Amino acid sequence: MKNENPLSPHIQIYNWHISSLVSISHRIAGIINLTAVTLICFWVAYLLLGDENYQIIYIFLNSFFGKFLILGIVWSFSFQILSEIRHLFWDYGIGFDLKVANITGLIVIFGSFILTVLIYLVGNLF
Amino acid sequence: MVQIRLPEKSKVKKGNYYKDKTGSKNLRKVNVYRWDPSTEENPRIDTYEVDMNNCPSKVLDILNKIKNEIDPSIAYRRSCAHGVCGSCAMNMDGKNGLACTKSHSEIKGDINIYPLPHLKVLKDLIGDLSTLYKQYESVEPWLKNSKNISERENLQSKEDRAKLDGLYECIMCACCSTSCPSYWWNGEKYLGPAVLLQAYRWIIDSRDEDRKARLKKVADELKLYRCHTIMNCTNACPKGLNPAKAIASIKKMLATS
Repeated sequence: MKNENPLSPHIQIYNWHISSLVSISHRIAGIINLTAVTLICFWVAYLLLGDENYQIIYIFLNSFFGKFLILGIVWSFSFQILSEIRHLFWDYGIGFDLKVANITGLIVIFGSFILTVLIYLVGNLF
Repeated sequence: MVQIRLPEKSKVKKGNYYKDKTGSKNLRKVNVYRWDPSTEENPRIDTYEVDMNNCPSKVLDILNKIKNEIDPSIAYRRSCAHGVCGSCAMNMDGKNGLACTKSHSEIKGDINIYPLPHLKVLKDLIGDLSTLYKQYESVEPWLKNSKNISERENLQSKEDRAKLDGLYECIMCACCSTSCPSYWWNGEKYLGPAVLLQAYRWIIDSRDEDRKARLKKVADELKLYRCHTIMNCTNACPKGLNPAKAIASIKKMLATS
């Protein structure tokens, strides 16, 4: 009676670190951004069909949900830009020290929110 | 293939509870992953109440205490007990490390002990590392040199020797590789941090004459570039080494050569 060897638990039991959290968020943000860019392209194409369409989108984007969506996309872009800069330094061989990597990881997390607020405030000026 | 959930036969069930018999007031609960190959049952978590008044400082001491005084059926690997051999690598408190160098006072609450993640379990805390060893063999971890060097020392400059620091200390305990999500999902093809660090150790050795071939061999979408700098490896290494940096160094050498 040969028993099948089990697989030991992995993601279920493994602790999250700052670096792994930023890494998975980077991928998720990447997917969101790709979707967002596609939607923006559709939006622009939609405008070609007439000015009524502009009104519909204008009302939608000014609703609470629309604003939430825009802020979400701004955040995911901010996050990925900052995280990508971190990756560029890594590609150059800089910032692999565990302490440095943790600090830059925190900068990416908090920086993405700060950048979102800044972009929102600048956007409000226009 | 990314499979987040464990297969049905690998799901962990609640196991036995071993109540303290010493009457000690200083008890800690220790949850240990158990799997017995001689039964058809699923893996389980056994809980032991351990008397901490008569227990030395490391997690391995707890396991020895359980084996000697409570439940002799528990299986785990250990040898040197001084962080040199790498046998007692396991997952403690959600992080890989060596049981012989990890202090249990660092762990808050109950102590959870699992085998190294995403391995075929042979028994209890013993995982099957044969894939990793095969991958290690594939990077040909020995010096390749055409000169006849059997008569005298093969000298190296101080600077060249310094390049091996942070690499030669690796004890191949597999804490890093089994902490890496990329290695979990692509362990058959991706070499993993431990083996790549070893590969780099021979690539960067000034006495080795096979650098180009070694680089070419490792330059593969799956073998090398599955590293996405998640850095779990560096976080896990009980010797304080930096496999993530070693892998980045290989990538950089490939990009600039």
